[in-house]
Amino acid sequence: MIRLTGVELRRLVARRLVMLGVAAVLGVTVLMLAAAWWNSRPLSAEDQQQAKAQFETAHADWVKNHEKYDKECRDSYASQPDPKPPVEEMCNYTEPTLDQWGKPQTVFTEVMPELLQGSSYLLAFAAFLIGASFVGAEFSSGSIGNWLTFEPRRMRVYASKLAAVAIGMVPVVVVTLAILLAGTYLIVAELGVTAGTTGKVWGNLLETSGRAMVVVAVAGAVGGVLALLLRHTAAAIGVIMGYVVLVEAVFGSILAQVQPWLVRLNFDAWLKHGTTYYVQNCKSTPEGYYNCESIEKSLSFEHGAWYLGIGTVLLLALGAFVFQRRDVT
Amino acid sequence: MTDLAISTRGLRKTYRTRRGKRVVAVQGLDLDVPVGGVHGFLGPNGSGKTTSIRMLLGLIRADAGAMALFGRPVPEHLPEVVSRVGAIVESPKFFPAFTGRKNLELLADAIGAPRRRVGEVLEETSLGERGKDRFKTYSLGMKQRLAIAATLLKEPDLLIFDEPTNGLDPAGIREIRETMRSLGEQGRTVLVSSHILAEVEQVADTVSIIGHGRLLASGPVSEVIGGTGKTTVKLVIDDREAATSVLTAAGLTVRAEGNYLVVDGAPDPADITRRLAQRELYVAELVPVRADLESVFLELTADEGLAAGDGTIGGQR
Repeated sequence: MIRLTGVELRRLVARRLVMLGVAAVLGVTVLMLAAAWWNSRPLSAEDQQQAKAQFETAHADWVKNHEKYDKECRDSYASQPDPKPPVEEMCNYTEPTLDQWGKPQTVFTEVMPELLQGSSYLLAFAAFLIGASFVGAEFSSGSIGNWLTFEPRRMRVYASKLAAVAIGMVPVVVVTLAILLAGTYLIVAELGVTAGTTGKVWGNLLETSGRAMVVVAVAGAVGGVLALLLRHTAAAIGVIMGYVVLVEAVFGSILAQVQPWLVRLNFDAWLKHGTTYYVQNCKSTPEGYYNCESIEKSLSFEHGAWYLGIGTVLLLALGAFVFQRRDVT
Repeated sequence: MTDLAISTRGLRKTYRTRRGKRVVAVQGLDLDVPVGGVHGFLGPNGSGKTTSIRMLLGLIRADAGAMALFGRPVPEHLPEVVSRVGAIVESPKFFPAFTGRKNLELLADAIGAPRRRVGEVLEETSLGERGKDRFKTYSLGMKQRLAIAATLLKEPDLLIFDEPTNGLDPAGIREIRETMRSLGEQGRTVLVSSHILAEVEQVADTVSIIGHGRLLASGPVSEVIGGTGKTTVKLVIDDREAATSVLTAAGLTVRAEGNYLVVDGAPDPADITRRLAQRELYVAELVPVRADLESVFLELTADEGLAAGDGTIGGQR
């Protein structure tokens, strides 16, 4: 089994498509760093001047009129339709400050989790494509039959192929996320704010990266299983694209209540150690209005882990069952 | 120790078409392939040869029956004997973007064969120079040679070649034929399936003929050919009309072929000369025509209601 996995890993690394995929992932990572740099740049002197002028205008208006605005707001509060925020919140005219104008500074602890999440999506998709093409190529070329005349124990063959994809993705994830973490930190240290990046923050970021590594490895194996079930790379990609568009995007947006049972949200819950989502709560008021409000709900890490884990095990079992019984022609 | 490299009993396989119709590919095949030498596995297209080979190699599941390789029941014990078996099923299938050498290296690594063996088998199959080229750039003959090289990685006792000369030019066919003969002479068992009768006749020591997924005849080539007990001769005689009348009256089949009369169905050539001499008709020249595998094959398949070369007949009952 170990020998077979080693052979499959060598085949994985020798595939040109795999190398192109990895190069594309690294290329997109560099683009993400370029975007981080672009977003962290301070405003030009001209833009800073303009922001300051706008602040001074707003401040002068506040000095001159804020008492008047406050009184008008409180006087008209009773006549405002319900539901409405408390009066102190609604009539809160605080003094403007300069940092409210112009461009806010980039804060490492704020941007890095988002970048990690985006990179994880990218890596998972790339792993899926690599896994699907790695296994699908054997069925479309017919070489799987030749392979089985050398190693007829199908479960070993099956496990070695999926293990190779999963293991092969690990260094890709490590390198990609290391570049992203280090690159973003250096950029933000130069142009933004890295204060507050404590050991605990780094620990959380590394934990997220570790979870990303697991989910990317699983995505590679899932790509392999789907290609094995459908016997073609393009079919596997088509199915997953169709699922993303029809179920995750269309169905998920029409029926918000099903979000906890969609892959994307569970992916987020796993990656971010819990996540939140919104559902609309609509009802009629005693006054005859029909109001909707967004309610934030949370999805736990455990839910995401069980959901993805059970789904993966079922898919792997289905692939094993089919491959064990299927006629290879 | 068994003296059979391959043995099947009552082997059966049915397929279901997309329209749900059941198609019998192999029905109750009893096949014995002795250890050593070249064994021809002959049958028209669609007669179940490739299906039978795939079942032996564990690529498809048999519906019923028993199979054994070197006495070990398969597919249950296939992992134990697979190292002794090299096979090419239909066209050679490798990773097209990898070089020939890379393809062989992966297979060698999978079975734990030393890397030097890759170079050796490439040389043995005259692919040493082209080993560094991608498989997809190979000619059909080179692909076939690479497939043979792959089977030799294991140094197998049994080699199974399924339609090995399909699509090859005459030089390629001759090369493959010589390779098979050479492997047989090395003491290995070679099973070569084909629908090309001349090919099998030239290389095989023993032969099995199948039709409709069933065994029609089996044994040494000479015995299978001689199995009809009938002779064909070509003769030259002055009075052709009289000779034709005499022989036709004796129940023989006579036809003109250039200067010759071709006579079919006699128990032996002496029977013909005796009948003619009794009527004072004397033969100027008599040439026994050796019964060939083709005629035997056609006779057997005709008995079974088959037509050789008709790709639609197999398993369509």
